Amino acid sequence: MNTLIVIDRAPYGSWAGREGLDMAFSLAAFDQPVSLLLTGAGVHWAKRDQDATAIGQKTVAKNLSAAGLFGVESLQVDATSCERFGLTKEQLIAGCTLVESSQATLKQFDRVVFAN
Amino acid sequence: MTNAMALNYTLVITGAPWTSQAPQSALNFAKALLSAGHRIDRVFLYGDGVHLASALATPPSDEQHWPALWVELLQEQLIPATACIASALRRGIIDEAEQARYQLAASNLLPPFEVAGLGDWVESNSHSDRVIYFHGTS
Repeated sequence: MNTLIVIDRAPYGSWAGREGLDMAFSLAAFDQPVSLLLTGAGVHWAKRDQDATAIGQKTVAKNLSAAGLFGVESLQVDATSCERFGLTKEQLIAGCTLVESSQATLKQFDRVVFAN
Repeated sequence: MTNAMALNYTLVITGAPWTSQAPQSALNFAKALLSAGHRIDRVFLYGDGVHLASALATPPSDEQHWPALWVELLQEQLIPATACIASALRRGIIDEAEQARYQLAASNLLPPFEVAGLGDWVESNSHSDRVIYFHGTS
């Protein structure tokens, strides 16, 4: 059962993405294959050099950087969304794969879960 | 009713009652599934959905009481229902064990809801034929 967790909202304004990430880490902890897709405003999760100290939150990119370490198989980022928000590959954290078609990505998985 | 094509479902509710329609839509969906002969393995409350498991929700008497309506179905059909412990603790949905652990003033978990980790959801994800999500909107 290959699962994709989709985060499509910007970080910090909502806890949904964090709880979506927890779902991905839980699947990985139980040795279930899982990948992440950042799309729409969710691509901001992968932006380098974030610092959320001023708003008293944990920096999301740090948690996201640990995804590979915890066994999340891939961290996919929608290229069109990056373009829309002016993010280049160089501005993203290490380990991201840019994908041209989210539709083709979704098709590769048995289960797709949208963090809300 | 028997159904040769009967499937096992897990329902995940992430929207809170009285903030979103998620608990109501999930309840209607659950009743429709059961009447069509399908089975429900588990109901899993995640994120804001854990508010459905509050024993203290007290809507005006002329409004629907979503936690009570859910409890009725869960008890009648013996469906296990879990509130994610991390989501629940953050939002003040507390069972007696967590009350003791964190030395809190009260507990408010509505039975038969139980608190447990995401492991319950992981298990459902691999065992149920379908996992359906009811999100809040914002």
